[in-house]
Amino acid sequence: MLSAVPRRIFHTFFRKPPAQRVTAKVPPYIRDQLDSNTDNEQPLPHDFRTVYPEFLPDPRPEWRNRLRERLERNDMLTRRSVVAIPEFYIGSIMAVTVGDRNASDKTNRFVGICISRGGTGLRAWFNLRNVIDHQGLEIMYEMYSPLIRNIEVLRLEKRLDEELLYLRDALPEYSTFPLDMEPELLPEGAPVPINDIKVKLKPRPWHERWERKNLQGVQDLGLPQRFYNKAKLHEKPWEKYDLMMEYRATIPEEEQADIFHEIAPHYQQLESSRRQSKRRLAQTSRY
Amino acid sequence: MERWGASMKEIERAISPPHEQKKSKPKEGLTGAKERWTEAMNVVPAILRAARCEGSRLHTSSSLRHIQKQTRLRVVDNSELGKSAMLEGRPPRCIHVYNKKGIGRTGDKVLVAIKGQKKQAILTGCHQDQFPLMPKFDSNNIVLVDENGSPLGTRIHVPIPTFLRKKLTEMSRPKGVDYTKILAIATRFV
Amino acid sequence: MSLLSVTRSILYGGKNNLQKIEVINLLLQQNTSVLTGGTGGGATTRNMSRMKKTRPFWQPKSTRTLYPEELTPSNEAFGSEVISDQHTSSSTTSPLKCEPWPRGVWSEASMRCGVIARKIGVYPMWDNNGRRLLTTLLEVPDNEVVKYIPPEKLLEHTHPKKNNNTHTKEMAALVVGADPIDPRLVTKEYYGVFADSGLLPKKKLTKFLITPDAKLPPGTPLYASHYRPGQYVDVLGTTIDRGFQGVMKRWLFKGMPATHGVTKSHRRPGNIGSGGEKARVLPGQKMPGHMGNKKRILRGLKIWRVNTKYNVMWVQGPAIPGATGSYVYVYDSWYHHCRHTPDNPPPFPTFFQDEEEGVEEEMYHPDLHVFSKPSIAFNEK
Repeated sequence: MLSAVPRRIFHTFFRKPPAQRVTAKVPPYIRDQLDSNTDNEQPLPHDFRTVYPEFLPDPRPEWRNRLRERLERNDMLTRRSVVAIPEFYIGSIMAVTVGDRNASDKTNRFVGICISRGGTGLRAWFNLRNVIDHQGLEIMYEMYSPLIRNIEVLRLEKRLDEELLYLRDALPEYSTFPLDMEPELLPEGAPVPINDIKVKLKPRPWHERWERKNLQGVQDLGLPQRFYNKAKLHEKPWEKYDLMMEYRATIPEEEQADIFHEIAPHYQQLESSRRQSKRRLAQTSRY
Repeated sequence: MERWGASMKEIERAISPPHEQKKSKPKEGLTGAKERWTEAMNVVPAILRAARCEGSRLHTSSSLRHIQKQTRLRVVDNSELGKSAMLEGRPPRCIHVYNKKGIGRTGDKVLVAIKGQKKQAILTGCHQDQFPLMPKFDSNNIVLVDENGSPLGTRIHVPIPTFLRKKLTEMSRPKGVDYTKILAIATRFV
Repeated sequence: MSLLSVTRSILYGGKNNLQKIEVINLLLQQNTSVLTGGTGGGATTRNMSRMKKTRPFWQPKSTRTLYPEELTPSNEAFGSEVISDQHTSSSTTSPLKCEPWPRGVWSEASMRCGVIARKIGVYPMWDNNGRRLLTTLLEVPDNEVVKYIPPEKLLEHTHPKKNNNTHTKEMAALVVGADPIDPRLVTKEYYGVFADSGLLPKKKLTKFLITPDAKLPPGTPLYASHYRPGQYVDVLGTTIDRGFQGVMKRWLFKGMPATHGVTKSHRRPGNIGSGGEKARVLPGQKMPGHMGNKKRILRGLKIWRVNTKYNVMWVQGPAIPGATGSYVYVYDSWYHHCRHTPDNPPPFPTFFQDEEEGVEEEMYHPDLHVFSKPSIAFNEK
């Protein structure tokens, strides 16, 4: 009886899976389609990622769009051609002059140590901290805000930690920098020095549980053993093996290379302003 | 669920009605009501512990550092009242914030209780995270003023934000309260 | 017993395959849609018919099932060649198609065409006072006018109104498409929509209501320069699908405390009625349910900047409905205080960028700080 079953009925119900959709060939990254500048292939500098970290977009895929990132980078480069935004790291001492409607001479200059930085693209920001007249204060600056007249790096150096928020709980002498500090000399081509100072913290209570943060730049905290035991329970030693976490938090290297090749035509200008600021450091220190 | 372990039980115990809870042995010297109070007080840490568990949905925010009623403040001018209060170790407490929200910001007027007296004061610096270009201080600073807006002290040795130039002139009234005298006694603007 | 119930009993009654097949064959011959619950032979429509999505008269079904054609590579390449030959600009410049339509003159009662845009992201800009504002970038990807629907034809397909209002002005429509798609992926009917204009079929089609003086010939491209900095727009987008959401997220209810004896009700709605005479739950009571994936319009958004090279406009605010990469429809703002004025008319019926020479690449609003200019200095108070 089954042999009398017409074949087409089975086809109606048990269709073959549809063919592979013809997908448009989308390049992994828009490679200079409109402005072709592949002649001068700049060698990729090894420290681009640390010197210009805000050029890398936020890795969250829901927010990414190549055209918007490109437009944002163009705006960033335009702004950088007007105001030289120097290379700086957390732990560097900087002086920022902003236009201030409420100040007496319409400008406001603040000197401080960079305790944190973040943001991508035009939203990039950094925090400066200083202790003035025994009062600790911090100011957050948006790197691409047009109110900023000038950013100088008075002392270019790195610290042992990636964030210096513990300076809020440290003795005030570690956050005190004179407001009339002179820029310090750095020889041409020298690597960025790492200041391995160990900061002494004030007695508890603190803003955060510093014993849990694996800080390298603080002296022995002098806490009872139970704090360190609790800290050990909160440790996540597996995170350094978590490849997916790293994948989600970073832009792939190939894309990074593409991005930096895109801004390669402007690299000369960026690097010259970076060298200029270093030379200015050298010049001013002579006097 | 195993990894929640004891903390989940603690929460369930905490949020279940009293008559369903197993009567645990009361602590020495505590009556029934106090026992429930101590249990209730132990609930919040349990919830916080649960919040810090991996995969937990409970979300606790960090300290907001609001300036509101009961906030202790630091007097930064050199008035006798302020200096003695700070030296004693009894800093002034905010008892009212003169704005609609009840949360004070830089430049807002507050009413403080200082050494048994009520005095008005102007907030010159906040510990709360601020918008870009507004300085954030390590302490909540105030300058004591009287009803006419003139400060009680003669000098402020601590830097104050330039924003106060705009804010205090806006707050002042012609032929009335004048808060801009605070700007005259300031030594440094930030 | 109705035909429907008989069919059901056979299909689901555990009879053998052959009987089921016989029934289905019979039904197919009789052309009755029993399975979908359509009426046939006196059967009543059951509640099984879902809300069917009706397509507009100008938009036939576009998707089709793709079967493995098993073409040889050379045949496929030939197909691609034919398509590209048919749709290059040279092939569409026939004298008949190039006859220009009369271009209308803008008046206050005119309504011009809108644009299909893609939300590509949000980033900050600063105004000349140093205040930061967030702007959404809307890209206008390959917009072209596909069809002009004259007022008579539009009326045919419009539901007759209950009140015969003679004051309503005569409206026409323009069907606009964005983002071309491979013609081999779409149905023949959909491809036929683009036959008059000679365009490649588009991914996204929509209709914009216009006054007849704003009509544009099919094939006219629309660019971001259709809008200018300083103009206000309304943006219609589909909100992000949040799925089934509770009452706190969906309706912003306050919930109940986490502690202090609250029994198993921390995120629940609580009371849903008042009792008394109205002893029931009133219609419209806010409850948990599906949230998002709805069309919403945000009105009165200022345009701060337009880039004519990449066809992008910077629109006020970060809150345009939809995720990054989704399509939105942009219209001239309907708010009275945002409409065009005689001393500042818009490009009408559109900005013919191909005909103009020396179009600025970047157009900024006068209040917006341009990055190439020096930092803001406050010279006078």
